[in-house]
Amino acid sequence: MDISEELAGTVCIVTAKGRLDGSASPMFVDRLEKLTSRHSKFLMDFSGVDFVTSAGLRAVLTTVKKVKSLNGAIAMCGVQPPVREILDITGLSPMIRIFGTRSEGLAALPQ
Amino acid sequence: MTRFEAKVKARTQDISDLTERAGDFLQAGGVDLHAAHHVGMILEELLTNLATHDGGDADASVLISIEKDRVFVEIADNGRPFDPRSTPDPDVTAPVEKRSIGGLGLFLMRKLASDIHYVRGDERNQTSFAVSRR
Repeated sequence: MDISEELAGTVCIVTAKGRLDGSASPMFVDRLEKLTSRHSKFLMDFSGVDFVTSAGLRAVLTTVKKVKSLNGAIAMCGVQPPVREILDITGLSPMIRIFGTRSEGLAALPQ
Repeated sequence: MTRFEAKVKARTQDISDLTERAGDFLQAGGVDLHAAHHVGMILEELLTNLATHDGGDADASVLISIEKDRVFVEIADNGRPFDPRSTPDPDVTAPVEKRSIGGLGLFLMRKLASDIHYVRGDERNQTSFAVSRR
């Protein structure tokens, strides 16, 4: 999995690409943990993430819990349909606002 | 080619490599993205469970068959007896601060797969499931 980040105003956009599975999720958690020490508003662009397992869901949930504990804000965009389905089934979708595009996500997050 | 056979050691990277190859096989075989994703995900859940409870010395053989309306998966492993149908469901309606971090994998299997069977024989767990094609 490749992870990169950039700033749009005060929002940290995290772009993930590849497979978020048991092998990649420790790196994802570690990277996001470091980012939450500097930022509290996140948009996670998952348009390049084509495979997510429960280990990946736990990584996302860990990040959401951390951001909420900071009174921050977090949203996702570009989530591929099979990944969206597992977010819906596991009840994670209502905890994270999910948008179709990056610009929609940025417009909805507080600046 | 409508059958995929592989043996795997229950180690995180080996499991990830196997499920990636299985996904490539399913997509090359014309299986839709949802079914291909969910078969790979469930496979990884079951094998990771084996790795967690029995460590890297456990191994499994995997057989995936693309059928007309579904993908059928059979796994035989030498781990300790474990029926994947037996774990409790997590509360997926709890708010974020109360959400438990575990138990989602086998819950997803029960939601997305059908015909989940388990038997113990010859000191091996034999688990099978099917995922409908769309």
